[in-house]
Amino acid sequence: MNRILKMGLLAGLFGFVVTGCYPGGADYTSDLDVVYSNYDDGFNFKASNTYAMPDEIVIDVKIKNNGDTIYEYMKPIYADPILAKIAQNMSNYGWTRVDIADQPGMILSPAALSNTTYFYSYWYDWWWGGYYPGWGWYYPPYYTVDSYTTGSMIMTLADPNADSPINESPTAWIGAVNGVLTGSSDITRALNGIDQAFVQSPYLKIN
Amino acid sequence: MKKLIYIAAFLFVWVTNPLSAQTNTALTYSMGFATGDLSDFISKTSFRGVTLDFRSMTRPDLGIGFSLGWNTFYESKDYDTYTVGTESLSGKQYRYSNHVPMLVSFDYYLKPGEKVSPFFGIGTGVVYTRRNTDMNLYTLKQEAWNFAFQPQIGVQLNNSITSATTIMLKYYYGLKAGDLAEPQSYLALNVGFVFRQP
Repeated sequence: MNRILKMGLLAGLFGFVVTGCYPGGADYTSDLDVVYSNYDDGFNFKASNTYAMPDEIVIDVKIKNNGDTIYEYMKPIYADPILAKIAQNMSNYGWTRVDIADQPGMILSPAALSNTTYFYSYWYDWWWGGYYPGWGWYYPPYYTVDSYTTGSMIMTLADPNADSPINESPTAWIGAVNGVLTGSSDITRALNGIDQAFVQSPYLKIN
Repeated sequence: MKKLIYIAAFLFVWVTNPLSAQTNTALTYSMGFATGDLSDFISKTSFRGVTLDFRSMTRPDLGIGFSLGWNTFYESKDYDTYTVGTESLSGKQYRYSNHVPMLVSFDYYLKPGEKVSPFFGIGTGVVYTRRNTDMNLYTLKQEAWNFAFQPQIGVQLNNSITSATTIMLKYYYGLKAGDLAEPQSYLALNVGFVFRQP
């Protein structure tokens, strides 16, 4: 009996030691920030040096009872510095921002996800559609948009002049900053993430 | 899981069997030093580990039994960019590697019964390895049941006929298996107490 008791104590100590000091992980929300980028390695980014980008960032699309489609936009106090940060990085890499009417070589579509659906691609199709009728862009199968969480900032670059049987251009580049637009009015993490997306995408540099 | 229950039941009966010969049971705190592929994954020393060594003494100088353990390696990597093909991912990585050796072991004692009793031995069996790479809210889990060898050397400092203090050095080498493309190996420095049933 004494022996069984001793073995029981040993087993208890064993369990206590192995479960009582298991290592932790992230301490702060910012420790979870990740920046993802991917590109089409067959695409020639140096074929053009101009791009267009809207002045607003859509965050949701709602359809009212009467059938009207309502677009929700990010407040300018947040959207303006984000768009400025993107423009600054594009400029540093040698790109010139032009108006959509000036036939840009590339179209940059920034989006912030208030949910994890693909709503924003419809909005951008509508936004650019006045100048490129029937144009849209899509994600090639190897871009896994569905893994982004709410609050993610996503940027895509596509060539509006690319021809395809389905009238859509494949995304040439995607940069995503995961989950940084939630829980706080501070967008510093988003701005830093945008910088990082360009740093890790040196193939966008054309100058 | 059923296999583990059978193994645990068998070991429990073996350890508590009053008809067995003299026994030598060591409970030790274990520090781990990664080598090889494990060292490439986590370079930091592990201070989280424990080992239970049970030996039935078939002769005064020869013990046969089992060794169970758990070593957890952990490293928080600095913010960095990881690129595979056209994809790049930047962020902080939290890396974990858990190793649970389950071995049949033999020890030979050079000076049994003396105050200082050095020994050497070898174990063989399996090491369950679970490697987790955490980034953002996602984890990449890789598992393996590595067929393993484990030579060891050590010394027991006998306090009395029923107890001793021990220090031992074990080298675990698990062959390539499962989700892991390389063998998994580490050195363990164990310090602890020995309880004997005379």
